[in-house]
Amino acid sequence: MNNEMTKKSDAQMPKSALHRWLRFAFVDWEQTQLVISMFILALLALTPLVVRSPYYMGIIILTVLYAYIGISWNIVAGFAGQLLIAHIIFVAFGAYTTIVLYNNFGVSPWFGLIASGIMAALLGAVVAFITLRYGLKADYFALFTIATMVALKALFLKWEFVGGAVGMGLRIHEPGFAKMIFQNKEPYLYISLGLVFLGLLAQYLIYRSKMGKYFFAIREDEAAAAALGVNTSLYKTYALLIGSAMAGIGGGFYVMYVTFVEPPQVFDLALNVELVMAGPIIGGLGSLLGPLLGALVNKPLAELIRGFLSVTRSGSSLIVYGSFLILAILFLPRGLSGLLHDAYLKLRVLIYKEEKE
Amino acid sequence: MQPEIFFQTLVNGLFIGGIYSLVSVGLTLIYGVMLILNFAHGEFLMLGMYVAFGFFTLFGLDPYVSVPLAALIIFLVGAAIQRGLIQRVLKAHSLNQIILLLGISTLIMGLVQFFLTAEPRHIRVPYETEVLVLMGLRLNIPRLVSFLASMLISVSLFLFLQYTKTGKAIRAVSQNRDAALLMGVNVKFIYLLTFGLGTAVTAMAGVFLTPNYKLIPTIGQSFSVIAFVVVVLGTMGNFIGAFFGGLIIGVVEVFAGYFFGGDMKIVASMLVFILVLLFKPAGLFGRKSA
Repeated sequence: MNNEMTKKSDAQMPKSALHRWLRFAFVDWEQTQLVISMFILALLALTPLVVRSPYYMGIIILTVLYAYIGISWNIVAGFAGQLLIAHIIFVAFGAYTTIVLYNNFGVSPWFGLIASGIMAALLGAVVAFITLRYGLKADYFALFTIATMVALKALFLKWEFVGGAVGMGLRIHEPGFAKMIFQNKEPYLYISLGLVFLGLLAQYLIYRSKMGKYFFAIREDEAAAAALGVNTSLYKTYALLIGSAMAGIGGGFYVMYVTFVEPPQVFDLALNVELVMAGPIIGGLGSLLGPLLGALVNKPLAELIRGFLSVTRSGSSLIVYGSFLILAILFLPRGLSGLLHDAYLKLRVLIYKEEKE
Repeated sequence: MQPEIFFQTLVNGLFIGGIYSLVSVGLTLIYGVMLILNFAHGEFLMLGMYVAFGFFTLFGLDPYVSVPLAALIIFLVGAAIQRGLIQRVLKAHSLNQIILLLGISTLIMGLVQFFLTAEPRHIRVPYETEVLVLMGLRLNIPRLVSFLASMLISVSLFLFLQYTKTGKAIRAVSQNRDAALLMGVNVKFIYLLTFGLGTAVTAMAGVFLTPNYKLIPTIGQSFSVIAFVVVVLGTMGNFIGAFFGGLIIGVVEVFAGYFFGGDMKIVASMLVFILVLLFKPAGLFGRKSA
């Protein structure tokens, strides 16, 4: 009797278009997160209609870029649970690759971005080869990335070909699409939105794939995953290769947008916290929505601090970011998307219940 | 390389290596007992330096006099941070622990920079550049003192761990937490004590650096990185390993600096790190693979 009733209500078509849409969005949490992400991207794509000031447009562009780089870190740290601390090295590698190729060889930044991804992935492969073998302590990886950052900073400071201590400024030519140099800010916004779109898609597909399941297994218990036949060294390496390649591409775009790169600026733990870690941690590490949601809070906040507080006293942004990390870990380890997930579970019950009645 | 220069360089390496030993011993002790990577370790060294600076500017205290004071203050700070923050994440995923410690490190740096500015400070003492000439070797007095004191502190800490009841309790927790708990060891207190001790010795290392080093809020980071290399080299959690590892890295760095320039020191440490990970991942003092 009861069984029959549920069957009947399932077969019924939802009453309204809104209801149909809600059912689609609430099929499962991953799909809901994707829908919310796309909705946010659409809103961001419309901002040029409202936002006229280049200053605010710049903040929006960097917000989108932060989200993209956050996604690249989220795959390694959030999905596979790897203790990747100085992810910024891949961003820096990508930035240097694109600008060197453009300045010294006249290579179009569009190809530069691809080269950046490859170079960063190569660095990722070297790091993975040294530190991600099965049986090595996970802690070694954490220590190694930081040491690599410091050593690379020392090397880049001395390496005259990439500008040494002075760094490199983008050689400004006439604006042009092939050179990825534009008069207005809007094209930059759409390029970065394209990156985030691809990043979100990649993240979703990985989440759904078998590889994603292996990542989660490694995150929860590497020894158990290995015992069940997962080649953990291989999948940890895959995670790092994907994350580093994405970060490299992001770095390439970063340098085209800010037009300048120097070693102390990019090989820096404070920038690493702001650019890479803060967003996903605030938004919810390991979730699909986390990096985007976190970036929406993180970047405007960073600008606010820079605009209002740092004028009077230096160190205030460090205080804010330090407190953020501490508070997030202690009180909100699942981040903002964790809160949303709770709300989602409640709403879902409401929507499906209503349908059954 | 002439013999005099060789020995002079070797001595310089051992002098700075002594400080590295002291810093790394603190880091490895905390790791061995709590299985936590203290990413804020260098910040406690920096705090120690600033405490000495505070006593020096306010009361004219010689930095060597403020060593015990700095140790006590940083012990309390470290213990408070352990109880208030770190104790809560001991069972969490390592990534969460590291993020928390990175947050603590960033916050400490920010607070120092906010209240004392990023401007380099200097403790000027009359004996800063004094030199003792011994068998043709020129020994800078503050560096000699810091070396001897570091050795003394490390050895005392070792003896404390080896022979006192509390020290034995600390080692028991590091070997097997649950067994120690069942034997009536107050594990929570041991954690507090260990973190306090580990940070206090690091703070002392910081104070010993003050006659020769300028104080900046970010100075701890480079020492953190070196201590990471040292504890991996000397097997993580191994006290004696960290002690000798510090001396080795100090010597390696100074020789690398002599041949390739001062900026390449960290690159040399990095190469040692890579070699250890590739060929002896358990470290010099590890029995089985890590």
